Amino acid sequence: MAKAIPDFKDKLSRIEGAGRLTACYQCSACVAECPAAQQCGDFNPRLIVLAALLGVGELLVEKDSVIWQCTTCYKCYERCPQGTHPIEVITACKNLAAAIGNAPEEITALHDTVAGNATLIMPSTAIEKRRGDLGLGPVPAPAEDLERLLE
Amino acid sequence: MSASSPEYTLFLGCMIPLRHPQIELSARRSLGALGMVLSDSDGFSCCPEPWNVKGASLDDWLVLAARNLAVAERSGRDLLVLCNGCYSTLTEAGHLMSNGGEAAERVRGKLEALGLSYSGTRRTRHVVQALCDLGTDAVSASVTRPLSGLKVAVHHGCHLLRPHEILQVDDPFDPVLLEGLVEALGAEAVRYEGYTDCCGKATRDQDSSLRIASNKLAAMKSAGADCVVVVCPACFEQMDLGQVEIKRRLGEEHRLPVLHYCQLLALAQGGQPDSLGLGRHRVDVKPALQKMQG
Ligand code: SF4
Ligand code: SF4
Repeated sequence: MAKAIPDFKDKLSRIEGAGRLTACYQCSACVAECPAAQQCGDFNPRLIVLAALLGVGELLVEKDSVIWQCTTCYKCYERCPQGTHPIEVITACKNLAAAIGNAPEEITALHDTVAGNATLIMPSTAIEKRRGDLGLGPVPAPAEDLERLLE
Repeated sequence: MSASSPEYTLFLGCMIPLRHPQIELSARRSLGALGMVLSDSDGFSCCPEPWNVKGASLDDWLVLAARNLAVAERSGRDLLVLCNGCYSTLTEAGHLMSNGGEAAERVRGKLEALGLSYSGTRRTRHVVQALCDLGTDAVSASVTRPLSGLKVAVHHGCHLLRPHEILQVDDPFDPVLLEGLVEALGAEAVRYEGYTDCCGKATRDQDSSLRIASNKLAAMKSAGADCVVVVCPACFEQMDLGQVEIKRRLGEEHRLPVLHYCQLLALAQGGQPDSLGLGRHRVDVKPALQKMQG
């Protein structure tokens, strides 16, 4: 059985947007239109919020946790009558999972690509050629000073 | 050009210039034809993208977004974006910076160390908003080849609509602006079940992600749509390239062409599909083009 992590709720609540966790009264208004709940068996935004409230963080931040199925459609944000905004609780859980190295590899890789190269997609001669064929100029030069912002 | 020509700094993001430049081409041509002045600027980074980068670290996401906003402010113009991800990231980051929580304070300090500051004087405008600012009459007036007979299913994409209290583009569950822009070109916008549903792109499990897109495409087809119009390169990828994957993995075939609104606009302004690079789309757009009369 998953164990509670003593300071999980506090840590989570300190992440921007996730602070209204305790207002949740488990009404399920966030579930009905949730596409991830409809398609992915174990995914339920109400239960994710409940697990966070109870501090059962292990379930949420383990490798391959169900939280990564969220489409970030923000329907739960609009439907929640309590301003809990499950999507923001989920994003905060993702941050905590990433901080302990439990984010999916492809997501860590995307983050690192942006941090290291400023763009999500690496420029290539193939794309420059395609741009040229379309009559487009080169892509504007990306940022160069990100390192100091992210240290 | 008249004194009232709207001027913007174009924020292209990553996916459009580096993976789908044909969308950039249509945007530059069609918006230019409407008298919009778009300036390019060096020194931006990825917006950054609002589900993976933000999921990895909200702090990193916010500091990079705020940096982009600070760089944009130096140009003295509003930003124009062609992508919902860029729109939601830059708008939400601006909101967080202006409403100053702890994360915003940390970011402010980091920007200052680089000689940058964010003051919130410039807006981020999505191309849908910029076109509506101009007015559907002006859009109609630029049309030389009305798209009469074409039935279009519009897909707004979640990151344009929600959270509405921050993004403030249109009704989050009953949006009408993009339909109005499609009808300004002489086409017919068709409503379908699950109108404001997600494209499913960000869901990690690939089959579930494709299932969400496939359900949406099926609903569009049942409503009689000839094509889909999107305003985001991520939605574009999920619905265009996604149809190849949907066929391969789920065994369902939709053959529903997908276009960014700027591409539909460029076509209605007389642009030729080949010179607009529409041959790069994975779902053949020709059947939809043949439906256009005039
Ligand atoms: S998060 Fe909001 S909508 Fe979901 S169960 Fe809690 S109160 Fe209800
Ligand atoms: S944002 Fe995530 S949790 Fe909320 S409704 Fe959409 S998929 Fe479900």
